[in-house]
Amino acid sequence: MTRAFRYYGKKRGHRRTGSPVWGVAVEAAFSTVFFLAGCGVLAYMLFHQFAPHWRVNQKFVETACKVLDTHIEEIEGQGGPAFQPKLKIEYAAKGEIETTADYDIGNTKFNNREDAQDILDRFEIYSTERNNLYPCWYDPADPYTVVMTRDYPRWMWLAFTVPISFIILGAGGLIHTVFGWGKSVERRSARKRNGMERDARVAGGEGDRRFPGIPAGADLTNSPGTKLKYRLPESGSTGWRLFGLFAACVFWNGIVALFVWDSARGHLAGNPDWFGTLFLIPFVLIGLAIIVYFLRQLLVVAGIGPTRIEISAHPLRPGGRYAAFLSQSGRLDLNSLRVSLICAETARYRQGTNTRTETQEVFRREFFHREGFAVQRGMPFETEIEFEVPERAMHSFKAKNNEIAWALAVEGDVAGWPDFRRAFAVIVHPRSGDGSQ
Amino acid sequence: MNYLISISIALDDGDRVYRPGETLAGRYSIDCFDLHRIRAVEASVLWRTEGKGDEDMAVHDFWRRDLDEELQFDLRQPVPFSTTLPNSPLSYEGRIVKLLWSVRVRVISHRGKDVVKDRAFKLGDVDAIGGGSPD
Repeated sequence: MTRAFRYYGKKRGHRRTGSPVWGVAVEAAFSTVFFLAGCGVLAYMLFHQFAPHWRVNQKFVETACKVLDTHIEEIEGQGGPAFQPKLKIEYAAKGEIETTADYDIGNTKFNNREDAQDILDRFEIYSTERNNLYPCWYDPADPYTVVMTRDYPRWMWLAFTVPISFIILGAGGLIHTVFGWGKSVERRSARKRNGMERDARVAGGEGDRRFPGIPAGADLTNSPGTKLKYRLPESGSTGWRLFGLFAACVFWNGIVALFVWDSARGHLAGNPDWFGTLFLIPFVLIGLAIIVYFLRQLLVVAGIGPTRIEISAHPLRPGGRYAAFLSQSGRLDLNSLRVSLICAETARYRQGTNTRTETQEVFRREFFHREGFAVQRGMPFETEIEFEVPERAMHSFKAKNNEIAWALAVEGDVAGWPDFRRAFAVIVHPRSGDGSQ
Repeated sequence: MNYLISISIALDDGDRVYRPGETLAGRYSIDCFDLHRIRAVEASVLWRTEGKGDEDMAVHDFWRRDLDEELQFDLRQPVPFSTTLPNSPLSYEGRIVKLLWSVRVRVISHRGKDVVKDRAFKLGDVDAIGGGSPD
């Protein structure tokens, strides 16, 4: 029996389950909750935080006061004691008034006594010799309401960003839903395309609109080569990849270490928890595997010198022959070094609440292969090679969930070291006559 | 009910492979039991992906006819359409990514589900390298 409502969609072959109507309804409800929550919190903050300070600045009457005494009021709360500075003052407002004043209209409390004392230290007790008076502001509607400052607290402006972000997110979602409501997927797509074309015209450039769906690859041609026209950047930043691995290594092993330490203390104290210790073993092994993998990658990056690839033209076209220049630095005993032109398909899909990515290499042609040679430090191995893009090859393609990517891959088998593989993305356009005019 | 609406799409050049920059022309017609059920008819030339990943789709050209505004619009008369095809993306049949071009006609009714019909065509002539055999 089919269910009336699916909580989330599943992929069934080429088909995705789930109701688009429910999807839009949930999106609208989600955006509405965000918007209303933001409005509610903003209204509360305006009424309870901003309005009192605004009244002090706009409505309260300024006068001079004598500080007769100061003290700190300790208030017990659930999160520990709070300390509030209090000042006994005398001032003229519809007659002489003597009362205990708060420092500000928000009755600011501090987590420690020292901060509260810092506030009180700004005021000296009145003496007739010095006649030291301080400005204060009282409410004309209730002259006993008086404060010693009318500054807006600095945190207030920062706090306002929270509900405003909620309102922007919620309103954006609602506008998206309202504009998309009742419109077919084709109509929404056409409207989006028109908007993108208009933006491209406003930006004043044709850009990659001549080749929809093909990445522009501007970053591939902004670095000139020394031997050939362009030097290709390595795909994926090695530094960030290593940093990510290092962070994962520290995060995982840091948490595991806390449990190991706790378990070891039990063993040392003669009170071992064998179940806990055995339970920890797989986590420790995973941590060790991450460390080993990180160290191998570090060795590859630090020990194997940079690889440089330059090419004679870009973008590439099917059937075209191109020259490539390879330079491999370092001090290496290479069992083999290969350069191949590869094409990989990447598909991203949602499974439940996860997004999965699958990549399959669908084409590989080797253009350079050399075995058993050494690279000396300061004398990089350099060679020029020729390669050809297949006559009827598919062009590069990139959309939100699907991608066809071409690259030149340099793969090395180094004696006594982990193998290395470095990829340099290239863009392939449709062949002449297939849209290159 | 959907069986009351039938959509036909015909391409002037039949099943031939189109090249980028060429004109794709054809006509569509709708046979409907009750004209008053239909609110609008949309025709689009679009590409979409099929395969392992979630679907990507983009419309290249789009026409819409609202029946409320065009009361004289006779649905049974074939409606011609024509568009200049773009440079990319080209049709492709890979291993986990497929790229398909089609003319799609959507009949939007006042109540009930839309009725949609696709007429596939091929843009460009590239190898299914994923399915073929590399060196």
